[in-house]
Amino acid sequence: MRPWLRWLILPVLVGPVGWLLFANIGVDPRTIPSQLVGRHLPAFSLATLDGATLTDADLAGRPAVINFWASWCVPCVDEHPVLLDAAARFGGDLRIVGVVYHDTPDAARGWLGRYGDGGWPDLVDDGSLALDFGVTGPPETYFVDAGGVIRHRVVGPLTTVSMAEGLAAIGVGG
Amino acid sequence: MLPTIGHAAIVVALALTAYAAIAFGLAARRGDRSAATSGRRAMLGAFGLAAVASVALMASLLGHDFSIAYVARNNATTTPPFYSVISLWAALEGSILFWALLLTGWSALVLHRYRDRHVELMPWVGVTLALASGFFFAVMTWPGNPFERLVPVPVQGNGPNALLQNNPFMGLHPPLLYLGYTGLAVPFAFGVAALVTGRIGPEWLAIVRRWTVIPWIFLTAGIVAGAWWSYEVLGWGGYWAWDPVENAALMPWLTATAFIHSSMVAERRGGLRIFTMVLVIATYVLTLLGTFLTRSGVVQSVHAFTASAIGPWFAVAILAALGGGIGLLLWRLPALADRRPAPELASRESAFLFNNVLFLAVTLVVCFGTLLPLIVEGATGGRLGLGAPYFNALNAPIFAALLFLMAIGPALPWGGASWRTLRDRFGLQSLLAGAGTLVGFGAGMRGLAQLGTLFLALLVIGVLGDEVVRGTRSRGRTRGEAVPTAAWRLATRNRRRYGGYVVHAGICVMAIAISVSATGASQASAALGPGASMAIGGYAITLDRVVEEPMREDPRVTELRAELHYSGTRSGAVSTALRSYPNSTTAIATPGVRTFPNEDLYLTLLQADPGTGTATIQAFLNPLVAWIWLGGFIVVLGAAFAAWPERRRVLAPASTAVPAEPLAASSPSVEGA
Repeated sequence: MRPWLRWLILPVLVGPVGWLLFANIGVDPRTIPSQLVGRHLPAFSLATLDGATLTDADLAGRPAVINFWASWCVPCVDEHPVLLDAAARFGGDLRIVGVVYHDTPDAARGWLGRYGDGGWPDLVDDGSLALDFGVTGPPETYFVDAGGVIRHRVVGPLTTVSMAEGLAAIGVGG
Repeated sequence: MLPTIGHAAIVVALALTAYAAIAFGLAARRGDRSAATSGRRAMLGAFGLAAVASVALMASLLGHDFSIAYVARNNATTTPPFYSVISLWAALEGSILFWALLLTGWSALVLHRYRDRHVELMPWVGVTLALASGFFFAVMTWPGNPFERLVPVPVQGNGPNALLQNNPFMGLHPPLLYLGYTGLAVPFAFGVAALVTGRIGPEWLAIVRRWTVIPWIFLTAGIVAGAWWSYEVLGWGGYWAWDPVENAALMPWLTATAFIHSSMVAERRGGLRIFTMVLVIATYVLTLLGTFLTRSGVVQSVHAFTASAIGPWFAVAILAALGGGIGLLLWRLPALADRRPAPELASRESAFLFNNVLFLAVTLVVCFGTLLPLIVEGATGGRLGLGAPYFNALNAPIFAALLFLMAIGPALPWGGASWRTLRDRFGLQSLLAGAGTLVGFGAGMRGLAQLGTLFLALLVIGVLGDEVVRGTRSRGRTRGEAVPTAAWRLATRNRRRYGGYVVHAGICVMAIAISVSATGASQASAALGPGASMAIGGYAITLDRVVEEPMREDPRVTELRAELHYSGTRSGAVSTALRSYPNSTTAIATPGVRTFPNEDLYLTLLQADPGTGTATIQAFLNPLVAWIWLGGFIVVLGAAFAAWPERRRVLAPASTAVPAEPLAASSPSVEGA
């Protein structure tokens, strides 16, 4: 081997490391981009807590907020008043759909009894819908426009501010 | 006033480190001793100024001076004094100041200690340490000023991160880790000095050996303390999650451990010199990378402070250290190359070589797993993470191989071993370890992970015990010393070796405990009404009551607590809580842990309703976890024993000199001669 060839190690090693370091600067790890934003919501047909069946087609025509929650999820308690408030204010223009995440129907019904049932349907999911949406964990909320396209996603508990941002993305309350 | 003093101290310290770098450079070029003295004093001054700035920031935190942005973000008028003080390292800018304080402290210590020795090496050590310290002062002068003012001054601050004020252990874990990280700049500085001057023989290795072991002790203690904190505070039932920042601390630990081993070969036999140098450079670069990952908000974890402007600064520093270190190494490569024939397979050199290869393999596995999400994101913008199964599946066999090496390495002679030696050293031990493994099977241990680890760990302990017994016996025979005296003198005359054995024994204790706790844990969860019970293992856990009340220490914090008792194998009371901090959207779980020699009963409150008195409890039964902490303690103890300064041999006057160790052939008094 020619002696000068060893110097090639330097750019080969330093180059990729430099790219790696600089490529990731300035990215806020807390904003998790969803592959689904801008796409049509996944198809589903699931039973609700009341025993009815709801499909993705039923959501067509009206903007919707799809909220994944569970009775064992502590921050879900914090965000619940925000959902109740949105239902009360925009009830006519907006559908709210809850999805019970990794939980039993009984526990979910008990929780709603304690913290307030807003009257919207709650789907009982065996985990496959959460998988289709790419849910990282409850609470997590998707904002779907009247055409059935996912426009916004909030990971973690909703606040009045993030709810307003989400609703603005699907043309509610603006 | 305080913020002005603190900021001025940082700016002057930056100037002093810059001056020190130039002075040491002149000392190196011209052999000018007075320039070196001047540079040394400048570094001592920088350390003093870093201390002034740290005290100023601590005092501002204690005084709740919200005109400083850092204080407003990380302190509130209700924050207890203890948490105010340790908030120095609870967030970004403060922790950089703390880092600079420790780094200049190590630098001043090392430069002072070797002020009259190693006159060729020390100026370059000084240049490196001055530049490394200067970088942190520069960061604090420009993008990360801890004394940045806030206008208008808020009446109340945010308070510290809820997770970080939940346990007083926050006062211990970060300083230990930082002492380790910063101390590892010292071996790097010596490595650079050795490469620049071309003095790549045993001289720098003899110094650096101890100056690697001391930070290594802090780093080890910091990692174990972090695992303990994660276990006792976070409430998810485990102690190691392969979190990117845990990995960031583990990687320099792995390379530093490999370095400690390969430096022995490099020093004694002149082999593995390139390896040794690569490990020194890698260790330092990895400590910087760890800081980058932790501080710049590149990864999301409990440690990520915030996405901030210091990222590019750290990226440049990492590239400078990596490029500079590797560049110097390539320049000296012909001189470092080992032209001797490859060692015998069954020799201690080979064991060390395999040790290095395996440690590097673990480092690469961990590094790849940690950085892959960044690679994917940088290239595609997508997010992807490798979970614990990836790390466990790839690392478990490597760690098993390391345990095996740990068993055979210390008993293999340098040069090569005959078949007979191998049988002598390992035959009986293997049988005993096999018998011990059967006992473990009888006690309920199952599976390859548990039983394989047990066998290898017992083999290590057996071989080490045999080494100690042999050494003690031969010393007792030749010197006529009683067994305890002979054992103590044997150990204190060769602290490195026997301290190392203690470290290995501690690692074995940890290995057994980790293998059992990782594969033998059980869990259960249940929603309990008042007086209702759930079962886990041999325990029945009963809910007594649910209480919601403000915490006594800090009334702004609301504690939702489930009080329980357990009965069965053992009985007692335990409580677990969810604490709601005013500045946190999610409640912080405070697990209730009862530790017993054979298992931990670990309860977390998932949810509770004080109205109905119901609570959802998640219970874990984690076997042998206490032994992980005990093993860690043994490791630290052994390493401290190894690093303890050896007593200088006092030379007796020639007239009364007695040969310390008469040669057997020339001494008529040796028994049986």
